[in-house]
Order: sequence, then C-alpha cells, then structure tokens
Amino acid sequence: MSGKINYSKLMFLIADDFGSFRNTVNSMLSSLGATNVVMAATAQEVFLQCQNKKFDVILCDYNLGAGRTGQHVLEELRHKHAISRDTIFIIVSAESSRTIVMCSYDCEPDDYLMKPITAKMLEQRINRLLKQRGIFSTAYAAIEKQDYLTASDILIDLSMAEDRYSNFAQKLLGTVFIRMGDLDKAERLYTRALEVRQVDWARLGLAVVKQARGDLELAGDWLEKIVADNPLYLPAYDAMATNWDKKGEKFNVQFTVQRAVDISPMSILRQKYLAEVATENNDLITALSAQRRSVKLGQYSCHGRAEDHFGFARISSLAVEREMDVDTNIGNEALAILDKAKEQYDLNDVQLAQCSLLAGRIHALERREDLAQSFFAAAEQILENVESNIDLDVDRVLALQSLGDKKKVTELLEELQTVYADDQEALEKLDVFLDEPASDSSREFVATINREGIELYNDARFDEALSCFEKARKLFPKHVGIQLNMVQSLIGKMKADIGDDSVKRDCRDCLNLVESLIDDEHPQYDRYRRLRNMANSI
Amino acid sequence: MKDNENGIDFSLVLASSVHDMKNSIGMLLASLESVIEDSPPTNEIQARRFSTLHYEASRINSELVQLLTIYRMQNDFLPVLIDEYYILDIFEDQIARNNVLMETKGVGMTLECDGDLNWYVDQDLIGSVVHNILVNCIRYTNSTIYMSAKVENELLCITIADDGKGYPDAMINRPITQIEDVEVSKGGTHLGLYFSDKIASFHKQNNRNGYIELANGGDLGGGIFKMYLP
Repeated sequence: MSGKINYSKLMFLIADDFGSFRNTVNSMLSSLGATNVVMAATAQEVFLQCQNKKFDVILCDYNLGAGRTGQHVLEELRHKHAISRDTIFIIVSAESSRTIVMCSYDCEPDDYLMKPITAKMLEQRINRLLKQRGIFSTAYAAIEKQDYLTASDILIDLSMAEDRYSNFAQKLLGTVFIRMGDLDKAERLYTRALEVRQVDWARLGLAVVKQARGDLELAGDWLEKIVADNPLYLPAYDAMATNWDKKGEKFNVQFTVQRAVDISPMSILRQKYLAEVATENNDLITALSAQRRSVKLGQYSCHGRAEDHFGFARISSLAVEREMDVDTNIGNEALAILDKAKEQYDLNDVQLAQCSLLAGRIHALERREDLAQSFFAAAEQILENVESNIDLDVDRVLALQSLGDKKKVTELLEELQTVYADDQEALEKLDVFLDEPASDSSREFVATINREGIELYNDARFDEALSCFEKARKLFPKHVGIQLNMVQSLIGKMKADIGDDSVKRDCRDCLNLVESLIDDEHPQYDRYRRLRNMANSI
Repeated sequence: MKDNENGIDFSLVLASSVHDMKNSIGMLLASLESVIEDSPPTNEIQARRFSTLHYEASRINSELVQLLTIYRMQNDFLPVLIDEYYILDIFEDQIARNNVLMETKGVGMTLECDGDLNWYVDQDLIGSVVHNILVNCIRYTNSTIYMSAKVENELLCITIADDGKGYPDAMINRPITQIEDVEVSKGGTHLGLYFSDKIASFHKQNNRNGYIELANGGDLGGGIFKMYLP
C-alpha cells in the first residue's frame, strides 16, 4: 500500500461493552501511531461522543450488550445525521457470518471485521478504507448535496479506471443513475456488469430499472430468479414486495415481506411493514405477531414509535372483538404494552388520549365496563383541550363501539363526516364504519371467504372462487372490493375461454354496479378502471 | 433439522454452543496476542510455547468456524456473497491474522500475487479457507510457506505450499468428495478439506464449479494445496 497514513491525525472511536477488548484495540491503534482514541461502552456513549466530535473511523462491536447492536447504532447515527458519509464505520463481530451478512444488507457499514482481530489486520483494513474514502469523498459530498450530475461525472471516471475502485464506483453509479431517473444509463451499466458475471447487485439493479419503467411482470420474474439462486439476498425481497404493491396484489406483498422477515427477523422496518399489510389483508394473526415484534425491537431502535404500541393494542382489540382464536391473555398484554409506551416515550396529549381510548376499548371488550368508562372519561377530558385528528377519532369510534353504544357511535360518525367533509383521506378511514354496518363477526367471516376466494382464483379455480365471493356479496351487496374480486374472476374465466355469454353479462353487471358506488377518488378506483379496460378488451 | 423425542433440536444446541466457544476462543487469542506483545519471548523454549498456545487456539477457532459453516450449509442458512474482490487483499488479511503465529514460530512467507488480480469470490468464505490451510501449514512446515494466486485456463488458482513432510498418501489418493460421512465420524476429521472443497464448489460460472486438489513435492517439497475457482 503506497502513501503512509498518518494515524496521529485521525479521530478514532472504539465501541465495545467489554473493557478488555476496548483496551486491546486501543493499544493496537496506538501502536499504529494513533493518538486520538475515544472509547465507548454503550450505544448511548457512542451517541454522546458523536454529538461532540467528528470521527474518521468508528470501530463498533456488533453485540453491544443490553439488546443493542452495532446495526442499531449505525442506523441511529445516520438517522440523527450524527455522522456523515465520510466517517468510516466498521462493525467488529464475533457473531456468525450470517448475522453479519444480513446486517450488512440492511445497514451497509463500510466494512466488518471478524474477531479475533490483530493489529496488522486492523491496519490493513483501515488503510484500504481510508484510501477508498479519499478517492470517493468528492462523489459522496455531491451525493449528499443531491448533486447527482456532479456525482455521476466523478463516478463515471472512477468506474472506467479498471482498478480496485471501479467495481465499487459502478455500484454507486447505478444507484445514482436510478435516483436521477436516468434509467437508460442505469440499464446499460447493469447490463455491462452482467456480461462479465451474474452478480446479484447488477441483477437486482436491472430488475429495479424494469420496475421503474413499469414492466412489472418481467421485474417480478427476474426478482424471483434472484432469490431462487440466493435465498438470503434481502434487497431482492424488498424490491419484490414493492413490485407486488405496484401491481396492487396485497396478499403477495404480505407473502413476500413474510419471506424476508423469516430470513432476517431483527429488522424493525420490515416487521412494521408486515404488520401493516397483514392488517390490510385482515390476517390479524400475522399482524399481531409482527406488531409484537415491532414493539420489542423498537426498544432499541431509532425506528421505534409509540404508535407501534398503539397498533398492537388496536389489532389485539380487533382480534378479541372478532372472537378470534388468540391467546386469551392478549388483552392484558395489550394493556401492558400501552403502559410501556408511556414509560418509553414522551407522549403528547393526543397520544395520551389515544392510549386511554385503546385501554378503555380493551376493558370494554373484556366486559369491565366501569374501568372502560373511566378511561374514556379521561380521554374525553384531554380531548377538550387538544386538536383532534382522524386517527384519534377513529379510536374514539372504536372505543364507543366496543361499549355497544350504537346511538353515540352514529352521532359521532355523523359529526365526523361534517368535520372531515373536505378530507378524502379521513373520509376513507370512516368508510369502514359506514359501508359495513354489519356485525364484526360477519366482517371476519367475509374476510375469510374473500381470502379463500383469492386463493382459489390464484389457482385458476375460477368457478369455486366465484361462489366464494358470491357468499360474501350476499352479506355486503355494496362492497366494492368483493365486486371487483368477482369481476377479476370472471375476466380470468373469459381469458381461459371457459363459459358462455352469461359470463360476459355478469361481468358487465358487476362493473356497472361498482361504477354507481365509487368515484375517481375511491381507493379502489384505479383497480376498477383497470379491470373495466381488461373486460372491454376481451 | 429434526426434533428428537426430548423436543430439543440437538444440532441447534450444538451450533449455539459452538458459536459461544468460538467467541471465547476469540477472546483468548486476543489476550494471548497482547501477552506476547507485552512480553516477547526471550528464548527458544518460550517462543515455542507461545507458538504452541497460539497455534492450538487458532486451530480450535478455525475448526469451530468450520463447524458452524457446515451447520449452516446443511440448513441452507449459509449466505454466499459473490462479488469482485482483490485476491491480494484476501491473502494479506489472512497473513496479518496469523502474523503473530508465524513470527513466534519463525516461519517465512513467499507471496506471489499480482496486486491487480481480481476475481469473483465470496471474500469471507475464501478467506476462511485460506486461513484454515495457512494455520495448518504453519504447523507442519519446517521453515517457509509459499502462497500464490494466478489465472490458469480461465480458472483462478490459489496455491498454498510448504516445506514440511507433505500430506499423507491416503489423503492424496482419495477424492475429496468421499470424505463426507465416514471420515468425519471416525474423528480423523479432515473437516478442513471437506469444508474447502464445499466452499470452492459454491463458486460457479458457465457450468463450471470450483474444486480443490492436493499434492506433494513442488519447489518446496512439502504439501501443496490448490483451489481452482471459475
């Protein structure tokens, strides 16, 4: 390695919960000439140090004790903008390579070192990384300023050099092209890389380009191939989930996120996403366990929110209300999780009111009416002094519903419709209560048979799917989603060339009915339009 | 993975305690190295003792790493991350890692590798193979080790040779792939070679898989380990 690096000019931070290891690394760095070495035993100390100083190199142990990992630390430092791209962050680990590989997919440290480490190893790695930092620093600065044109100019030069930095430069350049929206250039770059070798990053890049162009079928096929070859390549699952989402196929989104979560259960953002789509899909069992994990992981992560706790209480109360087969203790668990939110986060008034409403709702569902009433009273008291929002109001409606106070529910819903008359998004949230006036148990019933129907449809068993949706339609004749599911099955049948003219007629009837129910601001409107076009083109 | 009658998956228990042991050995190695650093050996005997300590600890460490890797291979948990890397970096990392061991044992090293030579490999897995063979060579060599990497026939060929007494005939005459069950259960492990061969075979390109070869002789007259990667 040419050009001696002057260690005395560099700022180092060593983070490890073991004093002996900190000291060992410290003396290794000193032997290399380092004079500015700061040590931290906990994640908290790292954050404090980074507030005051700018470090050139941070060596952070993966397992920092008390549930914290190097990944949490890196994510939080970036989240708080406490370090810039210029700081070299190395994760040091005695963990299995699997954990580290997952971690490197998720938070991309500059490098990772496996324990045991030696002074010489340390020197080599740091020298390499510092050299790389020197070469890429102008490109990083441009990216940070979102000056992608400058960044791409620099990176093009670096990637053409055919030296040890060209590969890294190419990878970075691909993402810059995509951010610039220059898909042609990105596509050429990835294609060229793939001519040499089938590397995952280039295959993924090409699939993402296809996705950005709207070629979702091809992108989906490619992504599926990538994970078939390398089932642990998490970024491909993320792109695949986005792909299904763009296609509007929520069940497949859930299935894909579930696959990624099974491989890497420690990512809070994926757990939250899973809970969200599973709730949308009415798969409350999955939603519950994902939300439970989100709460748990949130304890150590900068992505933890009080809302995760509320979400858990909301889903579990729904499960209790629908008398689903869940742990009988779920109500108490939810109450404890709500209490934890108060301990862990500095809640504002709106959040405190939400907390009380949710706790009240759970007590009401568990037939502890007195307790429920006192929680509601506490919530109402706060509500007098704060500006409400739709999510809080939805919690109010749910709370009243759980007490079985139909009159008050109707009054409140009417009031809210006036309050949010100009807020489509809020109205959509209220639609749930307005469109489906039947009991919750039958709502669950519909969700289940709807789900069954979609599975049958996916297996191309169209007639069975149709009879499934028909059952749901009997209960909710004006339910747009069910109608559209029927349309989709009928189209499937026509495409497969089974059935006669009556199929076409049924399809038209369904579409006409939907047309009378929705306008172009309805969340299912795009899907309706797509299906109508499809039906017409057959 | 199978649940046995007691409801405990023994392989999982084993894997997690292996993991634990590996971490302990890691700490032990680090402490040992600082001891050697603080009070370098003053005579032959001391140097030999240090090197024995260090060698045995390194050997346990790399053996445990292998056990874990094999466990993951069998359970499809092993991430293989193939990208373009510089072979010299991988060599230098492993030489640095075993630097203290080589110094205390007084082993010399000849390295032949073009600084610009890059190849598509999983850096960590290949690194662990090199480490494993290197530790073994340090143990069996008399005075010097030779390491090289070059491209032959569109394959990357990594060679690690020494001037010791070489691999036993039985090992050379039998295909590596036959090591699998019988040998391992006999306790004569050769796990390292099995492991190396597996890792080589994870590297594929144009229907060609990587493989390893053993020989004796060459310029140094001792054992020669070769790994070919497409």
